[in-house]
Amino acid sequence: MNPGGKALSEFVAEATEILDTLNKDLLTLDERRGQEADPELINGIFRAAHSLKGLAGLFGQDRISRLAHGMEDLLDRLRLGKLVMDDTALDALVESLDVLQALLVDASRGETSSSQSTRVEGLIERFTLMGAPAPPGEEDPLDRLELDAQVRAVFTEYEEHRLRENVRRGVALWRVRADFDLSDFDKGLAELNSRLKPVGEIISTLPSAQPSSASGIAFDLIFGSKVTGIELASALEGTPAQLSQLAARPPARGVVLTPAPVPRPAAPAAPPAASAALPAAPAHGAASVPAAPTEPRAPSTRRSGSRKSKASRPPPRPEPYQELPQPLLTPLPMMTPPPLPSQAFSEAGLGDSGSKGPRVDLDTSLRSLTQTVRVDIRRLDGLMNTVGELLLIKANLQRMTENARQEGTLVLSKAWVQELARETRQLERKLDALQSGLLEARMVPVGQVFDKLARLVRRIAREAGKEIDFLSTGGEVELDKLIVEELSDPLMHIIRNAIDHGVEPPEVRVAAGKSRRAAVSLRAEQKGNHVVIEVSDDGSGIDEQRVREVALQRNLITEAQAAEMNRRELLNLIFLPGFSTARNVSELSGRGVGLDVVKNNISNLSGLIDVWSERSRGTAFQLTLPLTLAIIRALVVGVSGRTYAVPLNSVLEILSIQPKDIRTVERREVLDLRGQTLPFTRLARLFGLPERNTGRHFVVVVGLAQERMGIAVDELFGQQDIVTKPLGGRLQSVRGISGATDLGNRRTVLVLDVAALLEDGMSPERRWA
Amino acid sequence: MSRFSELLDDFFYRPDEDVGGLLEFAAGSDELQPLVPEETPEEYLAFLLEGECYAVPIRSIREIGKVPPLTEIPRAEPWLLGVMNLRGDVIPVYDLKLRLKLTDKASLVAGPDAPPPPRLARILVAHTEEGPAGVWVDAVKDVVRLKPSMLEPSPPGLGGERDCVVGIGRRNSELYILLDLEQALA
Repeated sequence: MNPGGKALSEFVAEATEILDTLNKDLLTLDERRGQEADPELINGIFRAAHSLKGLAGLFGQDRISRLAHGMEDLLDRLRLGKLVMDDTALDALVESLDVLQALLVDASRGETSSSQSTRVEGLIERFTLMGAPAPPGEEDPLDRLELDAQVRAVFTEYEEHRLRENVRRGVALWRVRADFDLSDFDKGLAELNSRLKPVGEIISTLPSAQPSSASGIAFDLIFGSKVTGIELASALEGTPAQLSQLAARPPARGVVLTPAPVPRPAAPAAPPAASAALPAAPAHGAASVPAAPTEPRAPSTRRSGSRKSKASRPPPRPEPYQELPQPLLTPLPMMTPPPLPSQAFSEAGLGDSGSKGPRVDLDTSLRSLTQTVRVDIRRLDGLMNTVGELLLIKANLQRMTENARQEGTLVLSKAWVQELARETRQLERKLDALQSGLLEARMVPVGQVFDKLARLVRRIAREAGKEIDFLSTGGEVELDKLIVEELSDPLMHIIRNAIDHGVEPPEVRVAAGKSRRAAVSLRAEQKGNHVVIEVSDDGSGIDEQRVREVALQRNLITEAQAAEMNRRELLNLIFLPGFSTARNVSELSGRGVGLDVVKNNISNLSGLIDVWSERSRGTAFQLTLPLTLAIIRALVVGVSGRTYAVPLNSVLEILSIQPKDIRTVERREVLDLRGQTLPFTRLARLFGLPERNTGRHFVVVVGLAQERMGIAVDELFGQQDIVTKPLGGRLQSVRGISGATDLGNRRTVLVLDVAALLEDGMSPERRWA
Repeated sequence: MSRFSELLDDFFYRPDEDVGGLLEFAAGSDELQPLVPEETPEEYLAFLLEGECYAVPIRSIREIGKVPPLTEIPRAEPWLLGVMNLRGDVIPVYDLKLRLKLTDKASLVAGPDAPPPPRLARILVAHTEEGPAGVWVDAVKDVVRLKPSMLEPSPPGLGGERDCVVGIGRRNSELYILLDLEQALA
């Protein structure tokens, strides 16, 4: 494959997903032939065509880009009502989908077949010829609406079209006025949108000229709804929104408008200037709007006047890129717009795509909505081949078994034994190939999470009033899909901490002689069988003396313990549960908020977390993670005749000790390990098994995050690759066991949960003296 | 023998004749309500626990198997005997005897010190809301068809403090203690 092969395959994968969406929407449209097309549906198809155009342009796929552009054009005219969705239009759209699919096949092979090129040209021509405009009404319904001409002038063509459509159908139009604080208006607005969407159609969102305060921003939402004003008011309860109805004159031909009472909210509503309306806007010649098909969507350029600079104004309606399926967003930095409000908005949109159902809080999770892994078919083919060879080996072994049976009690020939040995070796090799092939299929680049986090960083930085340069490297490092998914939340937590509390405000930084913009970096690197992910900032660092004070105050450590602790150990106190509380947030500038949760999450992934910090130079959190959880290497140990498996990635070393090496401190058993005191626990005692007097012990020293502990066992059986299976719903509450595995003799062997054992061994109330 | 006496012979009771159905009919007619003609019998799996005969609806049972090696779960409740490997799935196995207070000592069936399981002992794998669960039984008896009319509510005070026992089934002279596995394994 050529050097661009990987990029190309990514393009093909992305484009396939877009085509899938297109296909689905077009099918729905096709099913409802003859009915009036749902504007949301046309918008969806329009957006998909638009993103396909962008994507194809990015990868230099001219023909796809041009065809998608043609589709987009047509759809734009459809959604603006300049064209009626009829059978010819639909047929052309369906056909272009076929052509796009064929073009994609071409692209993946690196070919340019001329037959497809002619089809593209033919379709584009058909698109442009399709021009039967919608029958214009005698009277522009918009003229009947009492709307300030100034307001009307800023509507986009599409908004105007929707407004007209609503007036014509006699849908009551409302002005929803809401005042937000500048710092969080995007959230407030997103909430308002999600409340309004189920009861009607948001036609336009306009920034208002009169914000209530200097730090506030007000919006007028033009909203069409068939429900009564009372219902509407109850839907908006709890939001700062104020309702007022836009009066419309009855049409000349007597279409009756739904009469709805106008509820006045209790709040002294500053009547929006525009609703003290001029009875009729001057006829604007808008009934058949001059076509501008080459500018399919340019809401901001269409708005006259100076009061809506794009940066302070969220998009009036979801723009094409916002409601795409999540995966499409990430690899397309060009499609992510520079102004931030819309980004926050887009994240909100992901939570409630479909406008129904509970709104997901922006911060709750960055996990993807699906558990699917996209696997290259060639990887699957490779696996299939391996399975085929395994079947051959099985046939050979079967034949040999049959031979041996027929020879009965005769001594087996040397040749037979050699053949058996050869087949076994083959089997082993092929099984290895199968295993690594399967693992490879589960791997995804961590960049998937990094991209999501990058978007988040800008928003958090803006909220916190910090200036941040965010740098992420190593996104191509691959990890098991499950781990990548589980990583997003802990990483988000750490990054949020770094921006909120690690990094100083710009002025402070300048005063301290640092650069005004702080650097926060996210770095991934593969080291052997592990991946190290580091989040670092160049902020103020953690004050370990404050950590010590807080830990003492909260009785997490004793004075004596504190006196013995070195700087590193003090820093690690921030991972203790109960260290961070709301009160401490202010005292400790919030460092350590929920870090125990982060630590737990990482521990669940069999990972380690470590912190480095230097005052006024910055802080770094380092996560060390196994490449996969599906198959891990384990140390198999024996205790009282039982067998257990210990994940090797948490085993630091193995000691052999005599009973006299065990000391007690405060009636707790400890080991003296090279001058350091190591907590010590006997697995048999911990599990309540009959203890056997073996004279000497093997001690498995385990470490997770910062904790270290020695676990005494009777026997060591060696290492083995194991597939851990969770114990399942009924047994989830069992502590100290993370799952079960099968070592090949059909007996189930339990896998120890080192993190839980460490906690049990450490916490004072569970001392086994 | 005349043809008439042959007919007569058919009519009279013979000691080797199976009259279970008649007895059932008689038992049903004892009640004042007339028999509901459309009542459909349900199949129950009957098994023994400490010599008593218990039964559960057979559709709640996924499979019945011999007792595999069980792995005990340290620090678990006493009625959790351990886990077993069922074709690659890890399934917990429970001891109902403790739950039903038939005994107060957990039987030693898992771990290296356990004796080999009794020849007749079986594990029933049941469907439950929280996934499959194994249940130790001393022996599987048979499958019985019980009509709703053969069921009676359980006398008070049965089944420990939980409502594991939902009723008594009576067929001929046999008594079946009907269990609610979902409750018993909760």
